[in-house]
Amino acid sequence: MARYIGKRAITGVVMVILSVCINFTLIRLAPGDPIRIMAGTDNPNQAMIDTLTKKYGLDKSIPEQFVMFLAGIAKGDLGFSYVSHENVVDAILLKLGPTLMLSLTALIIAVLLGTTLGILAARKVNSWWDKFLCGISYVFDSTPSFWLGLIMILVFASALHIFPTSGMVNLRVQSKGLGRILDIAYHLVLPVTTLVCIQTPYYFRIARSSVLQVMAEDFITTFKATGMPRKKVFNKYVFKNAMLPTITVVGMSIAFLFSGAVLIETVFAWPGMGRLLIDSISRRDYPILTGIYFIISVAVATMMILIDIVYGIVDPRIKHDQPST
Amino acid sequence: MKKFFKAIADFFRPQSPSRKAFFERVVTAIKRNAQLRIGLILLAVLLFVAFGAGLLTSRSPYYMYDDLKQAPNSTYLLGTDGLGRDVYTMIVYGTRVSLMIGIVAASISGIIGTMVGAIAGYFGGKVDRFVVEFINIFVMTPSFFLILIIIALFGSSITNVMLVLGLTSWTGNARLMRAQAISIKERVFIKSAKVIGEGNWKIMFKHVIPNGIFPVIANTTMNVSGAILSEASLSFLGLGDPNVVSWGQMISHGKTYMSPAPWISISAGIAIVFTVLTFFLLGEGLKNVLSPKLQNVQGGE
Repeated sequence: MARYIGKRAITGVVMVILSVCINFTLIRLAPGDPIRIMAGTDNPNQAMIDTLTKKYGLDKSIPEQFVMFLAGIAKGDLGFSYVSHENVVDAILLKLGPTLMLSLTALIIAVLLGTTLGILAARKVNSWWDKFLCGISYVFDSTPSFWLGLIMILVFASALHIFPTSGMVNLRVQSKGLGRILDIAYHLVLPVTTLVCIQTPYYFRIARSSVLQVMAEDFITTFKATGMPRKKVFNKYVFKNAMLPTITVVGMSIAFLFSGAVLIETVFAWPGMGRLLIDSISRRDYPILTGIYFIISVAVATMMILIDIVYGIVDPRIKHDQPST
Repeated sequence: MKKFFKAIADFFRPQSPSRKAFFERVVTAIKRNAQLRIGLILLAVLLFVAFGAGLLTSRSPYYMYDDLKQAPNSTYLLGTDGLGRDVYTMIVYGTRVSLMIGIVAASISGIIGTMVGAIAGYFGGKVDRFVVEFINIFVMTPSFFLILIIIALFGSSITNVMLVLGLTSWTGNARLMRAQAISIKERVFIKSAKVIGEGNWKIMFKHVIPNGIFPVIANTTMNVSGAILSEASLSFLGLGDPNVVSWGQMISHGKTYMSPAPWISISAGIAIVFTVLTFFLLGEGLKNVLSPKLQNVQGGE
């Protein structure tokens, strides 16, 4: 097991470097020059442009810049933002909290709700209840998240005045302690509900189809034929086998949580990673962009390894020490 | 000319038993599978709107009338937007844009996926290992994030959007095709073809791809809805092609007028849901019809 994890970790590092490399090059090959934005568009001064280009190392070739970037990562330094001159690590950490708060809450609710409903639907397959849930899941799956968010705002904020339209805290009331927590929770309701509506169908369908698939297996039929109680067959054999696909998907979703829900954060003006990303793209803020990308890649690689470990624990058929795997 | 019509008529005349059986099977599949049936009806509606746009409205989606933010009434069926354009006409012409983006992007991903998957699965060995590793890396990159960066930095023309959406979604198709190719190449008829002396490429195009394409077709249909949603999201973030009228842009534009004129965003959103749902149902239906293993469990009604 340890050797397997070590091998996977090395593959993970290689993958992170490769994907950051692609991203790094892509961003720098794109048209648009950050120096022109920094130097000002009204009356750019050639001396200032030269100084800025040198200061940020943009006069060097892309491979040289990439080596500098990697050397920085080794020291835990992702550079400074071109626009706000903040440390990239600080800028990202500042936004990471709100993003995780929003996306993780939504993910947990969506996974629990979707999986429960999926199992219920699969146990009563082709009943009206199953058909109703499937129908709803198709509709929500086809709904653009940002549009649903706008409709939520229109109905619950503009028309009914139950929830706030946007933001994370009420800026007019500076509350502390419990008041602040309640204020944030109050602002969380609409964005989380929207995300849950959009994500639940996905987990619903995965749970439903994998339960159905396992139920169709021969060994389940054998158990039923031997007269084992249906409940026991389900709890002990079907459930455990059917949860494997959900584990993979949840793992990957957690990894991508770090990039934030760009669209929902834009609609609800939530101060998270997604907004930071959009702003950095429009300002050509290279260090922030590469920084976010690096963090996402690390998260994905870590989650891939974690999923493998969890798989090994949940499913004893998978043995990592065999050379074939 | 006469010959041409005769050829078409011949094709549809169920003369040979195999073709008759094929049509019968298609009809039974449509009858038995509710998703496929509803999907086909919705698709017919969509195609009618897309091709018959000129019949459904006499206005131009770009013309700005003097009445701004008019609520829906008898002159403007779905009202007007903040610039005075007729929302109903924009929705009708937006169908063309959405369908084109969705179908072209999904076709690009389908063709690349089929080729890469078939080559990897059929030839195996080093090529296969390289492709599998490449797909693994690709899966690890958050695709929407990548699309966002490419579109934002390289320009948002409709061609760019279709290309990027196609080029970032082919891995699923490649996986399906690879699995198919691996199982098909062991069959007797492929081995017979080899013994006869047919070349590898010929076998791949003539036997492997035609026999293994069905899961890719189902998946490509699903990809159409994914591409339409992605385009709408890009337009919403202000990264759509400003020279065409698309539903995503209508929502984005309507966001500014959400409380005085909610009909702009609402109608465009419903149009998106309708279209995406169509291809989603079609894809699900095809998948269920084409995979016989699941048919016993959840087949139709």
